[in-house]
Amino acid sequence: MIRGSFTLRTMLPRTNTITTPHWLALCLPHLALDGFVRGQAKQNLPLAVSAIVQRREVIIDSNSSARKGGVSPGMPAMAALGILDGVRIVLRQPAQEDAALQRLAAWCYQYSSQVSIPPDRPALLLEAGASKRLFGTPLELGQRLERELGRLGYHVIAGSAPTPEAAWLAAGEGSHINAGGNIRQQVGPLSLRCLNLQESEQHALESMGFRQVRDVLRLPRKALTRRFGPAVADYIDRLLGTRPDPRLIYQPPQSFSTRLELPAEIHASQALLFPCKRLLEELCGVLRGSDKAVQSLHIVLCHENHADSQLELGMQSPTQDPVRLLGLLRERLERLRLPQAVREICMEAPTLLQLAANQRSLFRDSPAEQQHGIEQLAERLQARLGPDAVGGLAGVEDHRPEYSWRPRALDEAVHCTALAHRPSWLLPKPRRCDIGHYEILVGPERIESGWWDGRDCRRDYFIVRDIRGSTLWAFHEYKPRQGWYLHGIFA
Amino acid sequence: MDHTATIDSLLAGTPHLWRGREPNRRQRTLATRHERLDASLPGGGWPVGAVTELIANQPGLGEFSLLFPALAEISHSGQWLILVDPPWVPYPAALQGHGLALERLLLVRTHNDKESLWACEQALHGDQGGAVLAWPERISFARLRRLQLAAEVSAKLAFLFRPEQVLASASPCALRLHLQGAAQGSTQGNAWGNVQGTRIDIIKCRGKCPGSPSAEPIWIPQPHARRQPYPGLAGESCDSTCIFTHNSARISRAPVQASAAIN
Repeated sequence: MIRGSFTLRTMLPRTNTITTPHWLALCLPHLALDGFVRGQAKQNLPLAVSAIVQRREVIIDSNSSARKGGVSPGMPAMAALGILDGVRIVLRQPAQEDAALQRLAAWCYQYSSQVSIPPDRPALLLEAGASKRLFGTPLELGQRLERELGRLGYHVIAGSAPTPEAAWLAAGEGSHINAGGNIRQQVGPLSLRCLNLQESEQHALESMGFRQVRDVLRLPRKALTRRFGPAVADYIDRLLGTRPDPRLIYQPPQSFSTRLELPAEIHASQALLFPCKRLLEELCGVLRGSDKAVQSLHIVLCHENHADSQLELGMQSPTQDPVRLLGLLRERLERLRLPQAVREICMEAPTLLQLAANQRSLFRDSPAEQQHGIEQLAERLQARLGPDAVGGLAGVEDHRPEYSWRPRALDEAVHCTALAHRPSWLLPKPRRCDIGHYEILVGPERIESGWWDGRDCRRDYFIVRDIRGSTLWAFHEYKPRQGWYLHGIFA
Repeated sequence: MDHTATIDSLLAGTPHLWRGREPNRRQRTLATRHERLDASLPGGGWPVGAVTELIANQPGLGEFSLLFPALAEISHSGQWLILVDPPWVPYPAALQGHGLALERLLLVRTHNDKESLWACEQALHGDQGGAVLAWPERISFARLRRLQLAAEVSAKLAFLFRPEQVLASASPCALRLHLQGAAQGSTQGNAWGNVQGTRIDIIKCRGKCPGSPSAEPIWIPQPHARRQPYPGLAGESCDSTCIFTHNSARISRAPVQASAAIN
């Protein structure tokens, strides 16, 4: 009896699966710049992003080659142009940055079901505690995300802590605060400037002589509220975790669309592969996150003075594999003639489909693997030769041989009567012949059909052989046009 | 010390070495199910992972039906048959009648020879086994070699149907068969002679001692017995008798329409 209950208990799931939440913050300090330079394989063109501050255009970020030339943030745009010859200055586009953050949130959804975009900072917050067994500690996950987002062309610094606000502070330092660690001690030495407070609140704290975060934390809560209003006290509470911090959880979208403005115009279609690869990897990350797949992809290449080039990628089965998509795109780009240089790439997946769970089989030649392989082959061929270049063959129940076949989609079933005495090949059209040149071997076989559809025919078929030994299929037609014709080959 | 014995034992222990006098054991084959042909081919069948050339001056010699047993076996094992630009329309009922699984048949239609060869190569790439059949009119030695290498990597069977002109040129393919619809034995006064079968000569085969393959031709009987010429109905206007040139015209991708059915 005791033994029985013991077995039962071991079969039950372990009860300690509820984990304490742990937040991972991803800081994107160069988001404005990344959007412009990530379409470029080598960052050799000096580029800087500017913003209008008090009616003056000021540099807010610059890439490495611009920084080498002396262009640094805070500098007026006119001064930057004077210092470095050939520097390209682009005005920051907040709407595109927001869209990029949304896409990255969808991409991060593959690592956490709780992704949040803070409204006032270029950052992402992920709950990483629940998926600790799957993706490792927050430190490991953070490093992984830094690496993978770097491959997409985004500079990311990760940091983690038990509360979202503390995680964001940690990300600013690139540090990780353990679940058991004391937040108060860890963030204490940080400068007051790191806190996410209003400018006026910062100023008020500084004017009172506070320099470090620990100075503020030492104040009693009541005094804090009285002096600086409830907002600061509330922020400190959420930072330390004494007050819950509910976040608006990001919901992945039902479609995907992205655009990439190229830093330099691209003239050769092959050079488009690099930026397209980044877009495809981003797309596939989003697809993995929501367990979706795409079957068609719409790509628009924008030119300056010409109508946009449109590319339509179609697949035989839904996929979320970037290698497969890139292979197809490469075929299309090889054949593409660009009317003009490309300035911008837009990629759109209008519908995201449920991914059919196809498990890779252990044995290579299983029917499922064969089907998978042939679908991919058909896609590659169709990408280059056109959609109707590849297909199967199906029989049609019609006695007239020329109407007894039709093209077939690969996933369609086939029903066909077996007629072993007929030739394996039919001529596309029957050809007139002189029966005197042939020796008749077998026949006649009468085929008379089609009075109901206006293609009425009456024929006698014979198997004949020509003087060089070829066996052919000929018929003598009585109507509509009397005469001898060749119709097939016994090859 | 007996040096000969040492070298022999060394050679025997090297798995990557094949010596021409003995059949290549590593070459996988698929039986042709034609007794004489199986006996003459090294390994006893069509080489798997190699290109086979079937050379004939005109179609209708049974060059395609020679493959039926092998193709039926491949298609029923779940693997695919890929036909790249066949010059005529395959007749589904007849193929079904010869045991081919139609649902495993893939037809590829291209616009020109270049695309056709590219499609062949694509079909040969990939892991899955199966067979690729093509009817190239002109193909360079280098291109042929690429096909052969692709077939070796993917362990597929490839069959190329080629005209007789290519007999004069060298080929990197593993097996070359020459098919002729010739009279067996001496010809009589009859215009058709004693045409009874198709003569197959093995021009080249990898894995067999040189000289031995072409020793004697193989005869494949024609399936249809002879009969007397059909009486009376002769003398229509006609084209020349030689109408089946290779790749004479590319076929449309849909069945012919009623008005165009008969020219």
